[in-house]
Amino acid sequence: MFFPFHRLRKWQQVKATIIVATLFTPATPLLAASCCGGGSGGSLILPKMSSAMFDMSASQENYNGFWQADGTILQDPPGSDLKQLRLNVGAAYRLAPNWQTSFVLPYVWNRNQYSGYEHNSNGLGDSSFSLLYEAFDDITCVWKVRELSDLKPAIYWGATLTVPTGISPYDDVPNKLDTTGLGFYRLDGSLHVEKTIYPLTASLTLNHGIHIKRPVNRERGEHVKPYNKQLGDRTSVTTSFSYTHFMDSLDAITAGFSYNYLTEGKTVTDGTEDSASGFRKQSISTSLTWAESGNRWITRVSWNHSINREGWGENFPITDIYTLGVSYLYE
Amino acid sequence: MNRNFYLLFLLSALLLLSACVDMKNDLLPSASDQRSAVTVGTIGHRPEQLVADFTLPNSTGKDFTLSTHLQTGTEPADAIVLYFTMWCPICLGHSDHMFNTVMPQFQDRGDVVYILVDYVSGSTAVVRATETASGYTGSGFVTLADNDQSLLKQFEATNGTTVVIAGDGTVLLNEDYRTGENLMNILDEHLPL
Repeated sequence: MFFPFHRLRKWQQVKATIIVATLFTPATPLLAASCCGGGSGGSLILPKMSSAMFDMSASQENYNGFWQADGTILQDPPGSDLKQLRLNVGAAYRLAPNWQTSFVLPYVWNRNQYSGYEHNSNGLGDSSFSLLYEAFDDITCVWKVRELSDLKPAIYWGATLTVPTGISPYDDVPNKLDTTGLGFYRLDGSLHVEKTIYPLTASLTLNHGIHIKRPVNRERGEHVKPYNKQLGDRTSVTTSFSYTHFMDSLDAITAGFSYNYLTEGKTVTDGTEDSASGFRKQSISTSLTWAESGNRWITRVSWNHSINREGWGENFPITDIYTLGVSYLYE
Repeated sequence: MNRNFYLLFLLSALLLLSACVDMKNDLLPSASDQRSAVTVGTIGHRPEQLVADFTLPNSTGKDFTLSTHLQTGTEPADAIVLYFTMWCPICLGHSDHMFNTVMPQFQDRGDVVYILVDYVSGSTAVVRATETASGYTGSGFVTLADNDQSLLKQFEATNGTTVVIAGDGTVLLNEDYRTGENLMNILDEHLPL
């Protein structure tokens, strides 16, 4: 296999970190079924050598049945066509050499035809604001392992606050299918570890989020006797692998594969656990990222696929998510 | 320069957010009781109101009329429980909870009619098929086919809405299922010992 080691330059290391950082942005645990809210925007990772980044992505999530509470699959009724479209706009900014901040604002369109019932709606989704600490000073990507220190990975510690800017079931909406957000603040802590030994990269992302308890005094547009509600804690693990190919034009193409495990605990209402709540989901993703030679533009496509087998999820829709995104970087 | 761009972008986004929708209810959720007063005994869908009579086909095509099951009807019940379902996982979780927990708890406490209202299938035949596929045939629930969503509109319901009607036609409860605890409390208060 030909690989142009002799042509490697500092900028190529930069490019590689760019690809890695944009490709392995921690997978946002998606809870996008419109009857459940969803539409969260996720978070961004700014490459080490960049000072700022603007990002825009469009995704479509298609529903193909759901896992019941016992893990068995129930297909959607004939004639059903459930989908959610999302447009995410975000930006990241470097506050200090090892600190960065970012935000993502999503806009959501629900397109639901369930048996003979059709419902379409759109609105802002839940926004997210992140603070990330890079526990490394220099780029850790290496071409060859010569000493033990070459094995040092890039480690990111982060916190993300999801803000309920979407339309929730507790807003003035008559139908849960009209919702584009969950209605809860959530604080996530995350750890992202990645290592690149060209042309291969591996990463691991751990995420744990706590929903903040809130009072509710309205359901489906009508005021109700107030009560307190708290969604369960959310935990996800994502592991990914990728291969980067540098072209003669100095552009780079990276193909990636990842696996995601996501779970959420049970909802508590006025101190009582909702036995029908909580979920578990496993999914895989493939992605292709293209970074142009000027290190400015990154374009990516990805496909996230829920593993459509019994026992691979509980109490959650089975979906496919297609995403097309573009980022613009400042050095 | 980048910082200015970032801040400008962030501020623009926040301005857009604040201008687009009324998010106050979620950003600053209120615990105040803002329910408007209800005139007891008027016709309506809210607690303390009297429910208007309705007739819908059940999953076998036979008509179900509410007034038949009120105190003055030919098959009087102590309470009628309506649950609006689209057979989604959350809906099935709730109806399973009713079947496994609520119904056994009150089986010796008078006559209660438990009803699943299917407002999404669109035809009685599909309602029947979905009821069977979901394992609810012969479960003790009556499944009604709200093919034109008239009952959904009457109760201003959505998926997961739970309504309890007393034998005299008074609405006792009309809210999301949540945990089922409110449903059990209402039945416990209302049903004979």
